[in-house]
Amino acid sequence: MEKAKQTEYKPVDFSPVKSFFVSMLTRDILLEDAILDLLDNCVDGILRSGKTGGEKPYTGFSAAIDFKKESFSITDNCGGIPWTLHDYAFKLGRATKSDRPVDPAGTVGAYGIGMKRAIFKMGKHCLISTRSGQDQYEIEITPDWLDTEDKWQIPVKKVKKHDKDGTTIVIGELHEGISKKFSEDADDFTRELRGKIAGHYSFIIDKGFEVSVNGKPISPLTTKFAFLKGKDENTIRPYVFKTKSDGVDIFLTVGFTRGIPTPAEILDEEKSPKYSSQEAGWTIICNDRAVLYNDRSILTGWGDSGVPQYHTQFIAISGIVEFKSADASKLPTTTTKRGIDASSALYQQVKNKMREGMRIFTDFTNKWKGKEEEAKALIQQGERLSFEKIKEEAKNLHFHRTLRTFPSGDLYQPKLAMPVKPEPTSRRISFTKEMAKIRTVGEYFGNRDMAPNGVGEKCFDKIYEEASRK
Amino acid sequence: MKSPAYHLRPNKAAERFALIEAIRHLPKLGGSLGEYTYYGLGGPYLEDCRLIYDFFPEIPMVSVEENGEVLKRQQFHMPCGNLTLEPNGMKSFITQYQSNDEKSIFWLDYTRLEYTCFDEFKALLEKVPEKSMIKITLRAEPDDFWDEYKNIRTDKAEAFQKEFREILPDTDTIPPRDAGEFAYLLQRMLKICVQQALPGITTPLTFQPIDSFYYSDGTGMFTLTGVTIRRTNTSRVRKAFRDWEFANLDWKKRPRLIEIPILSTKERLRLQGFLPCTASPGATLRAELGYLIDNDITKTESALEQYAAFHRYSPYYMRGTP
Repeated sequence: MEKAKQTEYKPVDFSPVKSFFVSMLTRDILLEDAILDLLDNCVDGILRSGKTGGEKPYTGFSAAIDFKKESFSITDNCGGIPWTLHDYAFKLGRATKSDRPVDPAGTVGAYGIGMKRAIFKMGKHCLISTRSGQDQYEIEITPDWLDTEDKWQIPVKKVKKHDKDGTTIVIGELHEGISKKFSEDADDFTRELRGKIAGHYSFIIDKGFEVSVNGKPISPLTTKFAFLKGKDENTIRPYVFKTKSDGVDIFLTVGFTRGIPTPAEILDEEKSPKYSSQEAGWTIICNDRAVLYNDRSILTGWGDSGVPQYHTQFIAISGIVEFKSADASKLPTTTTKRGIDASSALYQQVKNKMREGMRIFTDFTNKWKGKEEEAKALIQQGERLSFEKIKEEAKNLHFHRTLRTFPSGDLYQPKLAMPVKPEPTSRRISFTKEMAKIRTVGEYFGNRDMAPNGVGEKCFDKIYEEASRK
Repeated sequence: MKSPAYHLRPNKAAERFALIEAIRHLPKLGGSLGEYTYYGLGGPYLEDCRLIYDFFPEIPMVSVEENGEVLKRQQFHMPCGNLTLEPNGMKSFITQYQSNDEKSIFWLDYTRLEYTCFDEFKALLEKVPEKSMIKITLRAEPDDFWDEYKNIRTDKAEAFQKEFREILPDTDTIPPRDAGEFAYLLQRMLKICVQQALPGITTPLTFQPIDSFYYSDGTGMFTLTGVTIRRTNTSRVRKAFRDWEFANLDWKKRPRLIEIPILSTKERLRLQGFLPCTASPGATLRAELGYLIDNDITKTESALEQYAAFHRYSPYYMRGTP
């Protein structure tokens, strides 16, 4: 019998494969989110520049995104990439070196993949030119570099392209799918991208940052809460909670953004969605960037621990939680920075308060059932305050310090107005009839397009009048 | 159940004739009209079906109607034997519709402007086979959003933004006050619907517009017609329709106004001999009439230019004794 051949165990190769970064990593992110990553870098650049301050800290800074069938570009005036940071800006992933300059407060770049992933997501050729003070240089990523596994170095060219500090990234040789998005599906993609930027960047744009897509500036989408001033009881105000935990400042508010819907409005919304539901839900902000926008899932506490599942009847309820930290790695975000890390202990604690606040407003909505118009009138009496205004107004609110529930912090729980008689003297009548018949009866009452509930009410009133006469 | 009298809707009549002209061009894409089935919302008089039967008797037709009384009235007005009356709503009909690869002509002839109209258009785009034609008509009335003092009705504009957010070019798009711009916004919204239903990245088919108009017979309306075609074959559609004077083959081109002036039969017969007229038709026809039919020369010539353009689509209405 032949003797078995002995295997010689040599050290195995654990070095990274370039195609993993180029082809695989890009699958984990949507194109729109990859572009938002580039905007995140712009904002981090602003914060690094140290030229921020005041109520509108981002004023004077801008980013212009342009795309067409052949190319994508983003140009900003946000401070550029200092040569001292080149190792971190261009390396695939962030090494844990102790000599890296400390990030200024508020930046969100923590993993060192955003820009590269966005580039590889879109195309095979890229030119990055930047100016930061005395540093002015250009780096070209070519298809040849991408295809050569063992070639990791890229030459840097000294150039003078920028009048002021900033960066321009031009991506060419676009992947076929991306090129189609930028041409054949450009209108829908533009709409989607603009909407995402308007939502996720609403707080930063509101604070002065200017973003344009194909030459057209973007306006922020601002959530405003009903706030009845001068009335501490029987009031309409948002719930507010604030705390600081492990170097993270947290400010949470939840309340009404509009009047609670009537049953007819709920039915109407369900039958023919008008997308106003998209305005409800939780927005989570990490260092000024919305990482979650109007979420209505269990991720933000809906349908969890006594909070009902989201339903159209709760369309008026919105909440915002802001996390702020000088150390981005402490923020409860995912690597894409467009999602929340649900396993984060900090987030789980804060979610308790999110649910607590939400329950107050779902309870209010349930208690006012049958009297929605009255509740709506009450809510409409209040001013509509933005998140920043709520933070200002919070200075005048009476907070309680909570130490025995976690997270501990300062809490303002509004004493919301409740219906005078808990037991309603009226009852709802609802029934279903064929549309054609409803129109015929509507026509009998003088308007064939009368709303179905209006037709029902008219019928009842008419018969009631006759019945009362007998 | 009330439908406006036809003689009070001359521009709607022109819209119908424009559909006839568009259908006439379809064989240029290959095949015959007998391969198509027409699906429409015929209304009590089934006017569209009557017209299609007059011009293209080889096209079988289906009229979709959910109102039982209107259905009875349609039964009474049946213009031909190759028309099937389908007791259903359009949304439900589209859900059940299976083309079995047979080419279709759909006219989504809505009188309202609601998100569901766009939703049904998208659902249909996903189901019709190549070389099918879809025409969609929508309410396009700026006065729904602007008051008589030319101020925007903020609540209505906000409701518009919320309802159409998924297909608006911008989240803060305001419904334009100008009827032409309003129609153009609807055209852009339909283009977004097309890109959502038939994304370039996954679908070889696209929807190539062939005409778009706006008009008012008391209420502003917008209509757009197009054909589903392989992306690689859009030039074929362009070639097939480019000689048609009313073709609008480019999403970026604004819809064309239909505003046919009211002329008496005697006036129309008088002008008949000078048509078609391509060189300064407004001035030529005004000179022939010898008087103004609107407030001033400019308006008169503009109205007569419209007449010159659409006179073939403008029906004669006669009083008759049954």
